This record gives sequence, C-alpha cells and structure tokens, in this order.
Amino acid sequence: MRELNPLLHSQLRLGVMSILMNVEEADFVYLREKTESTAGNLSVQLDKLSAAGYISVKKGFVGKKTRTTARITEKGSNAFVEYVEALKQYISMQ
Amino acid sequence: MVYNINCFNFAIEMGKERQRTSLLFLFQGIVYDVNRFIKLVKTPTMEERKITEAESLEIITSMISRTKDRLVKGSGNILLMWGYLIVAVTALIWVLLVTTNNPAVNWLWFLIWLIGGIATPIMAMRKRMETGSKSYTDKLTSYIWSVVGLTAIVSAILCFGFLFIGGKDSWSMMFAFALIIVPMAEIMQGLVIKENSLIAGGGIGLLIGLFTMCCISAQVELMATWFMPLFMMAFAAMMIVPGHILNSKAKRQS
Repeated sequence: MRELNPLLHSQLRLGVMSILMNVEEADFVYLREKTESTAGNLSVQLDKLSAAGYISVKKGFVGKKTRTTARITEKGSNAFVEYVEALKQYISMQ
Repeated sequence: MVYNINCFNFAIEMGKERQRTSLLFLFQGIVYDVNRFIKLVKTPTMEERKITEAESLEIITSMISRTKDRLVKGSGNILLMWGYLIVAVTALIWVLLVTTNNPAVNWLWFLIWLIGGIATPIMAMRKRMETGSKSYTDKLTSYIWSVVGLTAIVSAILCFGFLFIGGKDSWSMMFAFALIIVPMAEIMQGLVIKENSLIAGGGIGLLIGLFTMCCISAQVELMATWFMPLFMMAFAAMMIVPGHILNSKAKRQS
C-alpha cells in the first residue's frame, strides 16, 4: 500500500496544488482568496512546495506593485497524480 | 562605623539579591521562550494539521470547483474594443470614400492595427491582473488569436509585396481574411468556452466571408456603397453583440 505523500497531505498545500493542477498559473492574491488562507501561512507553504520542486514561483513587478505567480512543475504534477492514486487506494479500502 | 559596615553589607546583599533576581528573570525568560518554541512546534496550525483521506478528497474537489472557468467582469471588453474600432474606422473610410472618392483614405485601415495592436496587450494584461490566474482555456484562446494576428501580418506583407513589386492591388484579400480567419477563430473560441453568441456571431461573419470570397473569385467589384455596410454588419454580429452578451453574463455571475 502506497503511503500518502506527507508534503501534500496538508490542508493548505493540497489546496494550492489542486488549484495549480487546474490552472496554467495563479498569482498570490488569487491563491490566498481561493484557499481562504492568510498571507503568512500561504507564503510559508508556497516556500515548502517550491523547495520540494513541486511548484515554481516567479516574483515580478507590474507597474509599481509586486506580483508573485506560481505554476506547477512536472515533478509536482507527478507527485499530485501519485497522491491521488494513493488516496484512491485508501478510500477503496475503507 | 558599625552602621556604615552594616550599610555596606546590606548593599552587597542587595547587589547579590538583584543579581539573583535578574538571573531568575533571565532563566524564566529562557523557559518561556523554550516553552513557546515547543508549543509552536507541537501545536499544528490549521494548514499543518493532519487531514483524513476523506478531507483530502473534499479539498481537491472544492478547489477544482473554485477554479472552474467563470466569466469575470469585463470578459467581453477586448471583443467590444475590436468590434467598435473596426466598425468606427470602416464607417469613417466609407464616408470619406463616398464623399471624396480619394483611394488614399484606404491607408486609414491601418488605424485598426495601430489602435488594436496597442490596446489589446494592455487590456489582456489588465484582465489577467484582475482574474489573478491564467487557465488552460485562456492559454488556448490566446494561441488562437495569436495565430490570427500572425496571419494578418503575413497577409499585409504579401499585399504590400504585390503592390510595390508587382504593381497589383490585392487588398481585397484582406477583407476575405477578416471575414474568414477571424470568424473561424471566433467559432473555435465559442466552442472552447461554450458560448453560443460567439459561435452564432462567427457563423454570420463566416457566411459573409464566403460570400466575399465568391465575389472576389467571380470578379464582382466590392463597391464601398454596399460592401462597407455589409462589413460593418459582420463585425457588429461577430464582436459587438457577443461582447455585450459576455459582459452582461459576467455581470450576472459576479
């Protein structure tokens, strides 16, 4: 039986990954609104996902404002698919 | 003297006591910080708490539903900008052609390219900033319209080539381009985002485009008196009507 990836088996990180699997790219404000999280927590979780190579984070400027965008990497996409597969096994067992 | 010695001893005792007190405070501070650190490590935040398998599934489903392609306010603005721009420039050229009969006014067609070419990326960037995300549908739509834009540039270069090298006027081909390639792209976009007004508008445009192609092939002259109003009608059906429909749907959704 496959183990659930601990990096993805967390509320906010899983939420972020689910969103990024569904869109090409999303900015920080969009992710914060959709996940209904706080900026601080989201920032920490994004760093963790980025450090694991699951997402790529790009920081840039639009006019005078900073804009942080995130998109899923191939590694992240594979990890998510594996997580869902493992999840299916757990659920079918119950 | 005794009093002074006592005072001195008292002072020393006080000093030692103060030292002990401050050490105690320091120790208490360290204990507090360690406790706080242990608490922070041990107590999971909402985002770190363990979730069940059922909750995981719920999160995934909920996030997918939240990121579904929805129309956002001003979704039809780019379409409206192009629609009104093309109709306005066509109307201007039509009036000038009919009143002055000077073919040089045809250079005004490039106003469409100039204004549209500058306004589109700005509006697209603003829209993306407002939505905060770029979906796969957005990406596909962007590719479709990029192909249209590139075809327009290549067509114009070919027409210039025919004019300056061969001395032949092939600009009527641009009308066929505008009424074949653009409606095709619009129908494709309509199919992708499941928007009937785009499919219907594109269908009308394509029909007029095929008629235009037949006229060019049959060497029927595209006279400004009847063709220009037809051209404006096509763009009103293709861009202005769907643009307003998209905006009103987006307004209802938000």
